[in-house]
Amino acid sequence: MVSLDASQMTTRELNSQIKELAANGTGKITISNPAARHNIAVGILTECEIEIEGSVGYYVATLLDGPRIKIDGNAGWALGENMMSGSISLTKSAGASVAASMRGGEMFIGGDAGARAGISMKGGTLIIGGDSGFLTGFMMQKGRIIVCGDVGDAAGDSMYEGTIYCGGEVGTLGADAKIEESTEGELIEIWSLLEANGISERPHFRKIVSQKNLYHYDEQERHERPLI
Amino acid sequence: MVLGSNQIWAPWVVDDIHAKADLGRYRIRGMSTHQKVTHFDDLTFLSTGLTRFPLEGYKEQCNTAVSLGGLNAENPLELDIPIYITGMSWGALSANAKTALGKAASMAGTASCTGDGGMLPAEREASDKLIYQVLPSRYGLNPNHMATAQAIEIVVGQGAKPGTGGLLMGVKVQDDVAISRDLPVGVDQRSPARHPDWLGPDDLAIKIEQLREATDWKVPIHVKLGACRVADDVKLAAKAGADGIVIDSMVAGTGASAEILLDHSGIPTVPAIVLAREALREIGLYRKVSLIASGGIRNGADVAKALALGADACAIGVAALIALNCNRDIPESNFEEEIGLPAGSCNRCHTGKCPVGIATQDPELTKRLDPDEGAERVANFLNSMTMELALLTRSLGKGDVKSLEPEDLAALTIEASIMAQVPLVGTNKVFGN
Repeated sequence: MVSLDASQMTTRELNSQIKELAANGTGKITISNPAARHNIAVGILTECEIEIEGSVGYYVATLLDGPRIKIDGNAGWALGENMMSGSISLTKSAGASVAASMRGGEMFIGGDAGARAGISMKGGTLIIGGDSGFLTGFMMQKGRIIVCGDVGDAAGDSMYEGTIYCGGEVGTLGADAKIEESTEGELIEIWSLLEANGISERPHFRKIVSQKNLYHYDEQERHERPLI
Repeated sequence: MVLGSNQIWAPWVVDDIHAKADLGRYRIRGMSTHQKVTHFDDLTFLSTGLTRFPLEGYKEQCNTAVSLGGLNAENPLELDIPIYITGMSWGALSANAKTALGKAASMAGTASCTGDGGMLPAEREASDKLIYQVLPSRYGLNPNHMATAQAIEIVVGQGAKPGTGGLLMGVKVQDDVAISRDLPVGVDQRSPARHPDWLGPDDLAIKIEQLREATDWKVPIHVKLGACRVADDVKLAAKAGADGIVIDSMVAGTGASAEILLDHSGIPTVPAIVLAREALREIGLYRKVSLIASGGIRNGADVAKALALGADACAIGVAALIALNCNRDIPESNFEEEIGLPAGSCNRCHTGKCPVGIATQDPELTKRLDPDEGAERVANFLNSMTMELALLTRSLGKGDVKSLEPEDLAALTIEASIMAQVPLVGTNKVFGN
């Protein structure tokens, strides 16, 4: 295990150190005194384990492929943006755009998530222990978002595919979204995921999915119709 | 007088209303605007006479190399010529077309750019220098791919359709293109207009830092803007930390757009460059932050004029596709039968039925474009443009394209004088100054 004190390093030095340690196969990297700094643990493309002791700013743990990251605190905007694989676990709340364009892996938010949680998600699983804000799952393409509490207004607006599971109330539905009942198999899987992240309650989850009415323009001009 | 001669209710206006009455929606097409706008043809060079000496047009050395984005990047984008291939998506274009463009760029010593669909591995292999776009959709965005790029370009807007996202009709969202974008096969893809993880310029500054960290501060981070509120947008992008700014004007091309956006949004290339130059000058970053102009660049004269007005380089899209055989009546094609328009008139890139194998995902049509032959044509075209650029530069008595300046130009119309801020021919007056 290697400990890094963020208060003694610039962001550039910190990220360079993390990348070097991860590339050298260091088992676990601990970062103290993050002081809500932006852009910590960005662009790490090798497997490693990172623990951040404190709250972090924007774009922390982003553009990742492989690392397993634990953060003890809150996070600013875009936590875990475009993660390809690996995992992120946050003990408290996340700001806007958590898991934006996430493509794989698993992310757990212990508290609430702000607006646009899971926006443009393309894969993976985002679990939110509390509530999520406005435009959750906006233009989501694949993957699943599990919100144990309430989901804010315009939920699932313009989503293509993927599923938003809601254990509480849904504010309003976004364009082209609809609510369906979850199957027993889905519920068992969700409860199992929650248990793995330390949540023992088993609320009933409804799911928000696309109506798929916006998949195509209603009419096509003669020359647009597929002829080939 | 009959209706056909009426200025307001022209035949194409009547036809447009008929089409919309049938459709119940806006119309979609490819290519670029049909508006008549002030362009580079409205400017002329004041070559040498007795006041300065020319260089030998065909012999003396003329440096065409440029270095872009060196403000913060450890490795600026070094190009042999001040022209590169702009971002056009794998999806809008066939894999063969993307590969050909990458090869051509390498042959000419310049760069190509990915587009709104992720990186095609064959394009990466073909391109010595590849610019990796980060778009609002984030289709196919992969940090492993990003790590191989020679520059990053954050796309805020596109000149052909500023303020909106990309558009790819379902006929092109097939097989590997659908997989790469994580989209359902056959869906009419309407990309997001806003980035998912940032909204304003303050956020953009943090986003730029994120991309620098992801690429270890090695490569330039550029920002591409649709040319609208140019002065403010350029200042905000520069202040956010961009190493280079791409200004994409209203005459720029696209594979698909609502026609109403093509014709009724944005500003032309000439005033866009001048506004961007002055904005950078005002904040002390002119010639520090690189300025790249795109939109309607057709030949070496357009490039020379763009550089003289203040750009550091130009990016081309439609011209490169035309060099690839767009709108050319090749033996394998039958334009009238296959697209409903004669070669030379086609702007139906969005239909996926491109008769020359460029703007299609149909495997049979794609075969009509050989990537190697296509690359040679585009490389020839790039070399031709560069020769034209060097010829004009030498005729002005200069041995480096970076020495071109507004003083080398005069305007042929009052409008061009106002927009380019150069004197009207026959006068010493800069109108609107």
